[in-house]
Amino acid sequence: MSVLDQLLVFAFMTGAVASFIGDRRFAGTLLAILYFGQFLLLVKLAPLGYGAQPVVSAWQPALFGEVLVWRMDALGWYFALITVVAGWLVTWYASGEWGQGYRERGGNLGLMHTAVAANVVAMLLLLSSGNLLSLFVGWELVSWAGFLLMVMNGRESGGVSGPAGLRYITYATLGAMALLAALAIAHHASGSFEYIDLIDAVDQMTGPTRVSLVIAFALAFTIKMGLLPFHLWQAPAYAYSPGPGGAFLGAISSRVGLWGLAMVFGSLIGIGRIAGIELIPGWFDLRDVFMWVAALTIVLPTFTALRQNDARLLLAWHGIGQGGYMLLGLAAGDALGTGGGLMHVLNHASYQAPLFLAVFAVMHRTGTSDLNRLGGLVARMPLTFLVMLIGIIGLAGLPPMNGFVSKYLVYISLLRQGEPLLFILAVIGTLGTVLSVFKLLHNTFLGQLRVEHMEVREAPWSMLIPMLLMASVVVVTGTAPGLVLDWVASAQAALGLPVLDHTLGGAAGLDMLWVSGVLVYGFAVGTLLFLSGNKSRRVHQFDNYAGGHFLTAENQYQYSDQFYAGLMHHIGGWYRASFTWAESVVIASVDAMSAAANGFFRRTQAVFLLLLATLGSVAWLLWGVGS
Amino acid sequence: MNAIVLPVVLPLLAAFLLPSLARIWSSAARVLGPVLMLVSLCVLWTTWGEHPTPFVVALGGFQPPMGIAFHVDSVAMLFAFLVAGGALLMWPAWTDDDTMPRLAALTLLLVAAATGLALSGDLFNVYVFYELLSVASFGLVSARRTGAAFAAGFRYLVISGFGSVLALLGIALIYLRTGTLNIAHLGQLAPESLADPFGLAAFALLLLGFGVKAELFPVNTWVPEVYAGSSARVAGLLAGVVSKLAVLVVVRMLVVVFPHDETRMLLLILGVVGVLSGELAAWSAKDMRRMLAFSSIGQLGMIFIAFSIPGEAGWVAGLALVLHHLVVKSGLFLIADRWGGALQSLTGAARVSPFTAGLFVLFALSLIGVPPLPGFWAKLQLVIGLVENGNGVYLGALLVFLAATVIEANYLFRLAVAMYAEGASSTVTAPSGGNRIGAAIFAAVLVAAVFLLNPLSEAIDDLAVVGNDATGYMDSLAGGAR
Repeated sequence: MSVLDQLLVFAFMTGAVASFIGDRRFAGTLLAILYFGQFLLLVKLAPLGYGAQPVVSAWQPALFGEVLVWRMDALGWYFALITVVAGWLVTWYASGEWGQGYRERGGNLGLMHTAVAANVVAMLLLLSSGNLLSLFVGWELVSWAGFLLMVMNGRESGGVSGPAGLRYITYATLGAMALLAALAIAHHASGSFEYIDLIDAVDQMTGPTRVSLVIAFALAFTIKMGLLPFHLWQAPAYAYSPGPGGAFLGAISSRVGLWGLAMVFGSLIGIGRIAGIELIPGWFDLRDVFMWVAALTIVLPTFTALRQNDARLLLAWHGIGQGGYMLLGLAAGDALGTGGGLMHVLNHASYQAPLFLAVFAVMHRTGTSDLNRLGGLVARMPLTFLVMLIGIIGLAGLPPMNGFVSKYLVYISLLRQGEPLLFILAVIGTLGTVLSVFKLLHNTFLGQLRVEHMEVREAPWSMLIPMLLMASVVVVTGTAPGLVLDWVASAQAALGLPVLDHTLGGAAGLDMLWVSGVLVYGFAVGTLLFLSGNKSRRVHQFDNYAGGHFLTAENQYQYSDQFYAGLMHHIGGWYRASFTWAESVVIASVDAMSAAANGFFRRTQAVFLLLLATLGSVAWLLWGVGS
Repeated sequence: MNAIVLPVVLPLLAAFLLPSLARIWSSAARVLGPVLMLVSLCVLWTTWGEHPTPFVVALGGFQPPMGIAFHVDSVAMLFAFLVAGGALLMWPAWTDDDTMPRLAALTLLLVAAATGLALSGDLFNVYVFYELLSVASFGLVSARRTGAAFAAGFRYLVISGFGSVLALLGIALIYLRTGTLNIAHLGQLAPESLADPFGLAAFALLLLGFGVKAELFPVNTWVPEVYAGSSARVAGLLAGVVSKLAVLVVVRMLVVVFPHDETRMLLLILGVVGVLSGELAAWSAKDMRRMLAFSSIGQLGMIFIAFSIPGEAGWVAGLALVLHHLVVKSGLFLIADRWGGALQSLTGAARVSPFTAGLFVLFALSLIGVPPLPGFWAKLQLVIGLVENGNGVYLGALLVFLAATVIEANYLFRLAVAMYAEGASSTVTAPSGGNRIGAAIFAAVLVAAVFLLNPLSEAIDDLAVVGNDATGYMDSLAGGAR
């Protein structure tokens, strides 16, 4: 039994424990310990992150003459690490008061723990898949495990999670079928499901075969990532999952799409070959399609997020947009771009999960995530505020947090490759992110505390510690990005991509140790100035005035409704809901075809049809033989 | 004479004796059918062990091609086995009331005819058994004696009767040309006497005629009404077992007598249209029975697509799909017994019977083809087979198949999500204990198959070799009959 086998067995055991005793009071704590065990096994596999050879599973079942192989390499290890840590911390989060509250609200805590554990197992199986067949098996398991997590929140979400989950599983099945088509094409070309045989066969493929293979893979993986135009399912599906589950899904689940694309761009087909498929010769190739899709995925969902008034939906829409940065970097293809794109996976997980958890902590205390019904909570939940502050700086991609590093690498890559338009789109996306996350922070924590929230307490430690741990990852890997870049470089090497040249402080001339140092000094100076000034006096928030009026509970000093009214006045017309419209057109056409099919079966002149069919078939055969 | 004729003869005999027996000793009459099924299974099992190679049984001692013969190979045995096993699990005549003798007799008749179809090596015999099957199924379909059942039964009767005429016409054409109806003999004669428009026209007639029971597009318009109107067990038998026998007849003719590109293409195209029309219609079905009926049309379409793939790959995919669909659809129809009403009434049904809802989800997952369930492996064989062919039409069929699976996932899980909707109270009652046990057995078979995939896949590979071996089928004549 290799360490990989131990890890998979251990993960299965965690799932089994969750399904048997997940609803007990101590279950969350026990499960968190088990996840920590998985984490330790991953640490045992850590040499993978520093260039060691892949670890192969001893278990290789053969079915219908095909073998299922599991083998973990540096890329899989990198993603698996994020997965297990996310699973560990969200389970810890749910282990105490949150889980109790969830149960009291009528939620099925045992099922939630089971679903999270199933997601972790499925992800591990997928990320360590060693050939296309095990990839497909893992892929479907991830899809359906995610579905379980999405639809289990029926009552909590007011009944909207069911339709959201159904929409997701329809998109996911479309992706799975595309993957199945890719498998079939690969099997036809190479005679097996092995990666190595496919890599050999790619060169011999005819043009159309190669294009259809790329398209089939891309369709499968972009749907999972929620890239345009297949993004509509993601935000509601993640937002209405039970809190820790939503955090897990938002952090890492959809990134398996990027993992798949990384394999396609890196080892399986190669970004060079994809760039060689020219759509408008000399002007536009298939790689450009990916880059533009990525850039549009950054901009459009981010500005959709700007309009959300539910904190969960706002974050979920940002999750879609952030996927665009990852793909943009990956499709750039050079060491900087792919490094930035891959690094952004960890960075995104490290801030998205605590952001979700912070929102759910606020929900736990106040009962709402409606951004128009919150405010001023910084005085009551300062640590949760700190977590969200760190998280949004990371999400916005500002120094000194880790989100800045990965975005910086992508920007530099774009500029070096002479893609100013894409660079501008990426920056516009960041601008939108800054606006939107400020809205999130402001409407939740700043301004005036609402009367009904006067008695709100800080979130309990069982929820705070996992959030703070995640937030500390944002700070630490922002200050010393080289820690992550080592793993990223190993993943690049495993994929056959150019390897990023980096130091502990960063790459491409960026030294975050220095940047963070300057910021700490600045902060220290500011603190000294603050302390040396007059002593501040705390007053009650209503002991204040604005515009010559005293503030009361009825007359609040809080702008949350129509937060960016001025901005929306200018850009509001751009929101056309075109994708929703396109989706409804597809549904309507399936509906029409379905009605036609139903009509056929309702025909009363069945025998007449039979006669026609007979004559038709006979004529067809006669004609076929005659020609 | 050989014991292999017993699974045909015993039910046939019992079907005629049973009404009288029921008057004397009704409880014995009730268990007579299931007991006979068990006997048939035993007979088949021992015969399977004794005769590893294909052999021919000359009925009445007349040697083929003059006499009417049974052709027994492992594929025929498998289907006979499925008939007996399926009928045992889906036995529709457990009722206490006075309909029991009639139902039991008709089911026995159905079983005898279906087993005969599986074993028969002679086209004339095939036709006779097919007619017997039709008569038995007419009776079973309208056994509920409701208006809907009679209307559906009448529609079924008309289409089926017309189909029989077509099949008979095809058989007549073949006989006109060759002077024989022994399938193996036909296979030998076909290259010179039937490989022309005349012969192909005969195949088309056979295809459409036998296609009625195989739910082949476009002669399947009886399916939704009949499955919605008859009892769930009868619907399950027709969809799960009987349809597969008709498929077997068609595919035997295709492989042994008409192995041409044109015939395969006809099967492929009708299969593709069947998949499309079935899955699309199921998408907007308003009740579970009709949904399952349309889904079954789609699945049968997939089976036709699979068998249209030349070579053993097609047989592997086809047999895997046949076995999978038999298990899953039978189980689903058992669930639908009391859950067959409007889909809305099933909202929140998981609270009424969590076990049944769980079974539904399991069957649905396998039907969609989610690994590691058997449905995935069956569909994977189909996909690989289609691409290996490389031909444009087969690739088109692949695309249709993939798109249909998306639609399938949508409508099956629309229902599943509704079943688990919280805060809704369903008006349905839990399925009867017998049906739940039956469905659970099918589910157990499905789950067991996951763990036995390896031996199963080897067995299917062996069966595919036999099924695809046209020369082997023809050579069985030379070996002489027992």
